[in-house]
Amino acid sequence: MMNEDFKRSSFSLPPGYAVEHDPDDLWGDSRVIVNIGPTHPAMHGALRMIAQLNGETIEKSYCEFGFTHRAKEKLGENRTYHNYIVYTDRLNYCSALINNVAYAMAVERLMGIEVPERCVWLRMICCELSRIMDHLICIGINAVDLGAFSFFLYGFHQREEAYTLIEKLCGARLTTSYTRIGGLMADAPDGFERELKAWVGRTRKVVQEMDELLTGNKIWHLRTVGVGVFNKENCFEYSYSGPNARAAGVDMDLRRDQPYLFYKNVEFDVPICQNGDVFDRYMVRLLEIQQSLNILSQCADKMKKGPIWAEDKRVRIPDKDVVYNTMEGMIHHFKFFMKGFEVPPGEAYTQVEAANGELGFYIVSKGGSHAHRMRIRGPSVWHYQGLSKMVEGEKIQDMVAALGSINVIAGELDR
Amino acid sequence: MDIRKPISSQGGDSILKFLDLWKKQASVLKQKFGVAIEEIRMPLDDLTDVPIVYVQKDSIISILKFLKEDSEFEYRFLADITATDEESEPRFELVYNLFSHQNRCRIRVKVRVRESDAVATAVSVWEGANWAEREVYDMFGIRFDGHPDLRRILMDHRWVGYPLRKDYPLRGYQMFVDSEPVNLSLLEQDK
Amino acid sequence: MSKDGSSAYLTTKLDVLINWGRKNSLWPLPFGTSCCGIEMMATLCSDYDMSRFGAEVVRFSPRQSDLLIVAGIINLKMAPILKTVYDQMSDPKYVMSFGACASSGGIFNVYSVLQGIDTLIPVDVYVPGCPPAPEGVLHALMRLQEMIAQGQTQSQKKRIEMKKGIS
Repeated sequence: MMNEDFKRSSFSLPPGYAVEHDPDDLWGDSRVIVNIGPTHPAMHGALRMIAQLNGETIEKSYCEFGFTHRAKEKLGENRTYHNYIVYTDRLNYCSALINNVAYAMAVERLMGIEVPERCVWLRMICCELSRIMDHLICIGINAVDLGAFSFFLYGFHQREEAYTLIEKLCGARLTTSYTRIGGLMADAPDGFERELKAWVGRTRKVVQEMDELLTGNKIWHLRTVGVGVFNKENCFEYSYSGPNARAAGVDMDLRRDQPYLFYKNVEFDVPICQNGDVFDRYMVRLLEIQQSLNILSQCADKMKKGPIWAEDKRVRIPDKDVVYNTMEGMIHHFKFFMKGFEVPPGEAYTQVEAANGELGFYIVSKGGSHAHRMRIRGPSVWHYQGLSKMVEGEKIQDMVAALGSINVIAGELDR
Repeated sequence: MDIRKPISSQGGDSILKFLDLWKKQASVLKQKFGVAIEEIRMPLDDLTDVPIVYVQKDSIISILKFLKEDSEFEYRFLADITATDEESEPRFELVYNLFSHQNRCRIRVKVRVRESDAVATAVSVWEGANWAEREVYDMFGIRFDGHPDLRRILMDHRWVGYPLRKDYPLRGYQMFVDSEPVNLSLLEQDK
Repeated sequence: MSKDGSSAYLTTKLDVLINWGRKNSLWPLPFGTSCCGIEMMATLCSDYDMSRFGAEVVRFSPRQSDLLIVAGIINLKMAPILKTVYDQMSDPKYVMSFGACASSGGIFNVYSVLQGIDTLIPVDVYVPGCPPAPEGVLHALMRLQEMIAQGQTQSQKKRIEMKKGIS
């Protein structure tokens, strides 16, 4: 044990210096404080962790973030509801479409707008497409961190193909801004369902290959099984949701528990693992990709032609034809984009099952075209909070595996 | 046309599905805690999606604990802790969003807080409330009594003012020339 | 060429040779903080493949790299760290400002965001877009290579001026 005087003097040393040898402590000479991040290859985005190491074992650590804070909640109070759509892209940028859908749903709920069927189906396709993309990048990067580079390239190529599909929907790759309040930016092009199904078929094969490449791999097992365990009880304490919670055996999926869109009308399973280690989190994501592919092909079958805009004059963006050719259309267009539309007073917390877990928009409206409070509940904050506990007593290299597996996205973490 | 219209594709039909349950829970809460419950706003009567339970500041922890641990309520999932700036006395409303795995419904607990007040921390109920409360402190300046580590979380620790208060300007830049040092005292403290 | 080896002709040619080597072996340091980091990954990955331009050796240590790609938002908490990383890189060093946030703050004109990294460090090429498409990044890289060949980058220009000051 260290005595009190010694403790004080040693901890005033700058970080990175070894603590001087204490005769009573066998490991004292190898106790080091390491600063990891904010720019570090192992930290995804700008995250920072300060760990006290005993040999290679993390004894105690704490995490810091806020290095990409962009004041999105404050902007929510200063932008009109329509203008705010672009800011929702930049929350979880790996799956921007889910954020768009969640935000549009939240505002529509406050206004009591029901969108037509085709729009809902398209939104569901958006959600599942980006869920697959998010999972691909999560397990891919997790594998890269542990040395399996080719696995990542398989996933990323499929992601590029998904980008092509999304470009067909909205013309953008990453930051989509596809939804509008009460509708969508544009209808899907002709033959989109066919292309989607072809993509689903190809992806199914690729995921199968990825599964064969890594799931039975001995090295992968050694690096992931039993590493970064976060059990069920901890998941409840730290409000884990989504795949990270399901990996620990928490039977919770908002698509099934609090159905939104048309998730009631499609069939899918909710994969659940028991151990809550890095391997289980990888497995849940891999299985979820397959379920999402099933949902996608069901959506492509069930989607029918029809309008994509709600019949509501408050939110309907005037057609370009009307804007360019009539005076009233022009005035309407100008007023819509300069002043924004009024949202009736009320407050709602609208949640969706995003790729990482529960994504919620808590909007308080007091009337007018700006929100009184725009709160974004991103799952990453809660997941990142558990990291210190998760890696306590683990080896330093396992921290990299654990961090990659909980998929912390800086944009959603810092908002 | 507002929040009271239940639309199933937005999850809005939960208003109809859970209304009876919520009414029952509201009467139980009123009976058990009496004056500690200031008011309960129910959906359809008020402009909200789930019941809002306004509680007195001093009894917030006991009510949260009851909501979490009682087998009928079982609001075990802390979805969010946040606050709103109301610009009138009492200035802030502290908001707890809860979800029940068992009943699959939500509830919202609110506390009215003055600028000078401190609220008891919920870390004793949920360990994970730690960072959410730090964020509320960082953004609104609401202090939490008994919090293990009440520091700024998103902003630099030298930042002056609380960005999400309504009187903080959107473009109130504050520049620092050096980065935040490692806080060794956090590693020193015993668990 | 005179006997002491101080001929202008030979040194110029040597510069050209060195710059040719420099432009074809860029070692980027990816300072990816947010959304643009994902597009940077796409550029480095198989479909776009930045290694065709001799810039695939990604190094996370500022001591080993000479091209700083600032991809994404730099906020006021991050700004001192970016400055430190830039200072740690050895000359000649080049900076690519990747995306609207790094170039000008983009749509985030708010209390926490640095309004363009050029207020802090010299920038050679700016890539517009939020986030830029990989094609745009490759274009910027080729433009940077041209600049290096001509000795037009900020750090090369500074070096020439320093030399002038000494002589």
